[in-house]
Order: sequence, then C-alpha cells, then structure tokens
Amino acid sequence: MLEINNLCKSFQRKIALDEVSLTVGKGEIYGLLGPNGAGKTTLIRIINQILEADRGTIRMNGQLMTQSQLANIGYLPEERGLYKNMQVEEQLIFLAQLRGLTKKEAQRNVSHWLSKFGIQDWRSKRVESLSKGMAQKVQFIAALVHDPQLLVLDEPLSGFDPVNVELILSEMKELKESGKTIILSTHNMQSVDEICDRASLIHEAKKLAEDTVWNLREQHNQGEYMVRFKGNMIGFVNALWTDFELLRHEEIGDNRFLAKLKMRGASQMNDLINALVGKVEIELIEKKLPSMQEVFIDIIRGKEEAHA
Amino acid sequence: MRNFWLLTKREWSERVMNRTFLWMLFIGPLVCLLMLSFLFKAGDEGKNSINVLIVDPAELMDHRVMAQAEHEVHYFFIDDYLEIEEFRDGSQYEKFDAMVEINEKILINKKAFVFYRATPSMDVKMQLKFQMERRIEELVVESFTNLSIDHFRRIKQPLIMDFRNVYDPKNESSDLESWVGFVFGGLIFLFIGIFGMTILRSTAKEKSNRIVEVLLSAVKPRQLMLGKMTGIALAALFQLAIWSVLIGCGLWILRQTIFPDMMNPANWQGIQMAADVQNQVVMAQEGLSNNPVLDLVYARIDYVWMSVHFVFFFVAAYYFYGAFFSMIGAMTGTESDGQQFVMPILLLLGFSILSGYMYIHYPDSTFAAWISYLPFTAPMVVMIQLAQGVPIESYYLIWIHWLIIVLSAVLMLQVAGKLYKNGILQFGHRLRLSQFWRYFKS
Repeated sequence: MLEINNLCKSFQRKIALDEVSLTVGKGEIYGLLGPNGAGKTTLIRIINQILEADRGTIRMNGQLMTQSQLANIGYLPEERGLYKNMQVEEQLIFLAQLRGLTKKEAQRNVSHWLSKFGIQDWRSKRVESLSKGMAQKVQFIAALVHDPQLLVLDEPLSGFDPVNVELILSEMKELKESGKTIILSTHNMQSVDEICDRASLIHEAKKLAEDTVWNLREQHNQGEYMVRFKGNMIGFVNALWTDFELLRHEEIGDNRFLAKLKMRGASQMNDLINALVGKVEIELIEKKLPSMQEVFIDIIRGKEEAHA
Repeated sequence: MRNFWLLTKREWSERVMNRTFLWMLFIGPLVCLLMLSFLFKAGDEGKNSINVLIVDPAELMDHRVMAQAEHEVHYFFIDDYLEIEEFRDGSQYEKFDAMVEINEKILINKKAFVFYRATPSMDVKMQLKFQMERRIEELVVESFTNLSIDHFRRIKQPLIMDFRNVYDPKNESSDLESWVGFVFGGLIFLFIGIFGMTILRSTAKEKSNRIVEVLLSAVKPRQLMLGKMTGIALAALFQLAIWSVLIGCGLWILRQTIFPDMMNPANWQGIQMAADVQNQVVMAQEGLSNNPVLDLVYARIDYVWMSVHFVFFFVAAYYFYGAFFSMIGAMTGTESDGQQFVMPILLLLGFSILSGYMYIHYPDSTFAAWISYLPFTAPMVVMIQLAQGVPIESYYLIWIHWLIIVLSAVLMLQVAGKLYKNGILQFGHRLRLSQFWRYFKS
C-alpha cells in the first residue's frame, strides 16, 4: 500500500528524518512509535504532502505519491483544528469536498458518520459550542468522511475519555476489517498492543526497529513466565532449583500463589513444567512477553547506552 | 482549481455571512450619505444671514451699500469712531456679527478691516467683499472720473491670467477633478488596508486554531493563500458594489427630496451675482460661485469610467499588497504577533496616498513620473490621471501601469507563496526579521 524509501528531511541544520524506509501493507494497522521530537510528525506531514522530502520517495499502490493521491488519504493531525464559527455539518462537507467528493456525496457521507457516532443532533451547532471530546469526534469524522484507502492518525486517542477511546479503537478495527490501511502514531502503547499489526520505532530521525507487534515483543522477550499454582511455596522454590530465578511472588488465596520467574540458560517452558509437576498443583503457566511500552523503553535505552 | 474555488467560496461566505459585515453594508453608505449631506449643507452656507455694522466716521458710504443688496448680509451704519473692544463687549452691538472699519483713505488704498465674532462662510465673505467693492467703486468713479458708473463698469475689464497646460489648452481637466481621482485612489488604499488586515488576521487565526494543517493535507499552500485572498477580495468588491448602489440611490433621493433647490442653478448664489454684475473675476472662481461639493458629486464625476478602472486597479493592487499581508500572517507565531511587521506596509499605503497629493501639485516633476510607474503608488496616480482625463493617444499608458502592477503582484505572490509555505506550519515562535530571509532561502 505505502512504500517509503530512504526519506530524508532537515530543517536548516536540524535533521528531522535520516534515511527512513518503511512499508505499510494493505489492510494493516501500522504503529508509528517514537519519543517526542523523533521525527514522526515530519514523516506524517511528508506522507500527506504538507512537507517536501529532501530526498527519498513515497509510493502509494506502486505509484509515486502526488497531490492527486491525497484524495485517498485521510489525515487527523496531532494538533486538532476546526473552524470555530462554522457549523459541524457545513464544516465536514467543506472538508470532504476539498478531498474530492461532490456536495451530494459529502452530504450523504457526513450524515452517515454523524449518525454512526451518535452526534447527528449536533450537525447544526457551531464548533465553538462543542465540548472537547465532541470536537475530537468531529475531527475524526473529518479524517474519514471521504472514504480514504489510507488513514494517517496522529495521536487519535488523546483527549478522549475511556468510553470514547474504546469507541475509536473499535472503529479503527472495523475500518481495518473493511480493508482500510491505518498508520497510527501514538504514545498510547496499550492501543498499539491491542490493535496494531506492525510497528516501527523512530528515534532521533532514524528508524530503529520495524516488525510485527508480536515479533517486536518476542524479540525483547526476557524469558519471563507467570505461574499460578496451589501448594507449598517452599516446595515450589525447591523445585525451581538453579534453572529458574524467582523474581517475585504473592499469595492470592489459601495456599494459592502467583509467581514470576525468569529462565536461566537454555531452559524452556517444558523444563519448567517438568520441574514443577508433582511438586505443586499448576493452575496456569503463561509466557510473559514485554508490552510495547517495555519494548519501546528497551530499544530507546539500548540506543542511548550504545551512544554512551 | 476546484479546491481553490471551494476555499474562495468558504472565505467569501465567512466574510459576507457575518452579521457585522451585513450591518456595515447598510451603515457604511448611510454614514457616507450623512457626510455628503453635511458637505452639501456646508457648501451652501450662503443662506446664512449676518448683520454687518459699517463704521464710517468719514461718512463716505452715505449709508448705502449696493442698491440691490443681497438679503443674506444686512448692513447697518454708524458715523462715528468705534473701538474694537467697545464693539466686542458693548451690549448694544451684540446683534452685529461683524464690523467693517472704513477709514477716509479707503478710496486710495482700497483696504478695510472686517472684525467678526464667528468666522463667516466663504459665500458670505464673498458677498460682503463684492458688495463693498461695488460701493467703493461707485465712490471712486464719482470722485476721480467724469464717467457714469454704468459706463465705467462697461469698460472696466480686469486682467485675467488664466494658467493653462500646453497639453490641456482647453483646460478640460481641473484640480477639482484631480481630487476626484484622489478620492478614488484613496478608496483603493483604504480598502486594501482594511481587507489586507483581514487577510492577515484570518491567516493567523487559521494558523493558531491549527485547521491549517488539515487544509494543507488537501490543498497546496499557494492555493490556500490565493483562495483566501480571492475570497476576501470578492467580499471587498461585493461590499463596494453594494455601497456604490446604495450611495447612488441615496444621492438620487437627496437630489429629488432634500436638496432640489440647490440643484436649481437659479438658486446658486454665485450665478445670480455673476448674472447681475458680469464680473469675470467672480466667474473665473467657479468653485466659489456655486456649491462645489454638489457640482463635484452630481456633475463632474464620470462614475462608469472611473468605476471600471477602479475595479481593475483595485484588484491588481489588492493582490500586490495582499501578498505582503498573507506572508506576515503565515509567518506569525501567535495571532497577535506580526502587528509590528504590518507597520511598514501601512506606511507604504500612507505614502501612496501622500504621493497622490504630491502628484496633483507637481504633476510634471520627476517624482511624479517615478511614482506613476512604481507598483506601490501607481494605482493612486493612475486614478488621478483618469479623473483628469487621459488623451486617447496616451491611454495605452494606463494599461502599461496596470500591467506593471499585475506583474509585480505575480512576483510578490511567488515570494509570498514561498514564505507562506515555509512559515505556515511554524508555531509558537516570535517573528523576527531574519526569518523572512531564512524561509525565503529554504
């Protein structure tokens, strides 16, 4: 769907993007991660043709990105903005028309999305009279009202309450199911864990990692396991012997415990099961993969330590 | 192109569908008409009557000033000396508005002092001077010649020095018409100032409420800039058109209702005087012999000719100056930032208006030649030239001036487009002069 090759951009002496390449497949939700000032917004602006790259190419569906392809992109910028004195419906129709829809198509789509988000009663209200959350919804609708193939969402969940976060996330899943591609730039790592298929991490203008979310978590797997068991804690510790390290434990009921372990050497989950069978009554063993937040911190720290 | 028109339409709607704008559509012409009515009235001060006390201790005047004296000036005589203080403070002199001091040498030195309480109108001054002069003339003829007064007046011909331009031997143009051009030119710059500030504020507002990033993901920065400028220009032209129609209708109504007597030449005081005395000096001073404002508004302005050129020159100059306003609006860090950078542009607008004044007074100077080609000042100069009347053989020069402004506007829009593109997504900074160069270079 989208191929970005060796993208470079600098502002005077500051390098914002340095040879960044990534590929976003059709129907994917792609997480664009990185600390503040890493270059994510610059990359997003280049994708949206707001900025021009110094070097490198962007291809959409195999074709070099041009202004005409912008009609296939929906963009929700991090810094939200709407005309405050325009009515909700009027504003959405205007923005949809700018993206190439006829007035009739725009009216139809706006009606559909306003109903879907349950804000059809607000269509004649001026934006300045909306609550922040409501205005966020209007902006979200503005990004997808023209039915784009690719959605670029920069921090789409910021400013929403938990109920609306859930609403937006489920909407994104639905869009994915209908074949839309989404690039999601966010600091909300839980949402990345939950909905992203693949992700890349940008730090100090460079891409540090790119893979599926599962692989990224697997790559940073520390060999940790959670074990829930019934029995004697001393017997449990004795059973671990030297192949496993008990990181922490807690009693969760009468003779029932939850323990976090770390593998030593080449030990596998089967070795752990073999060691525990007969010593305690195993209720659950779960491989504990790091969250994307932990992956993120791990990569950034690793990079900083390498620099030091 | 479609997006350009969408942006233009939105901008136009935002301006025009604004309650303040709609109110101003009607309040503006109303204020103009009130001001014009006031000027008409001011130019028609001849109906004011004043009482003049003639202090004539030598009894030269014989208690007579013109047998057919106008009613507006009433004369009273005193055959004794009267000090100014006494006249000023004496209760018995309160009813007199002015005192004319006639000394015994008046027939030789032809000089008299008029002391007034409140400044009389130009018409009253003229009438007083004219009537007094007539009386003195009678006395001079009587004392120093054997001629009859009628005979004297028939042979009396003052020397009229009529200064005329070699290129305008029929004196078809006049200062008064130049001022008409000046007013049209002034209107161009007034509207550029008002709507230029609208461009700046609107750009800065779009920037500060961050809608600009959404827009730029759909349109090019230059499209956005031009769409905004065009929308505002259309709103300006719409306002001008409505104002013109309303003011035109208002003037017609005034002519038919409130000032019909002023429009009748028979009521023009100067004409009566001129017909009465055939004094060519008075005739030559046309501006004083009738109501100059009425004459100007109803008789001298070729509205169609001026309006057509006005639109062309307004549009060209608007884009030229608008490019500066757009550029500054896009480069500001906050909505209130950039005010100081507007000052040089406003000074330029002021200079352009001043250049019109200079052009009227020194039309053949080198300075006048320069300012007619400078895109900053050319709209003003051209409007004056058009009002004065342009000979057909040099009419093409008007369009050369226009072309210069258009080309300058295109160039400025290129520069502004670049600065706009680089500056529009920079937030929260304080605008510095060095940024202009930095954004231009990058």
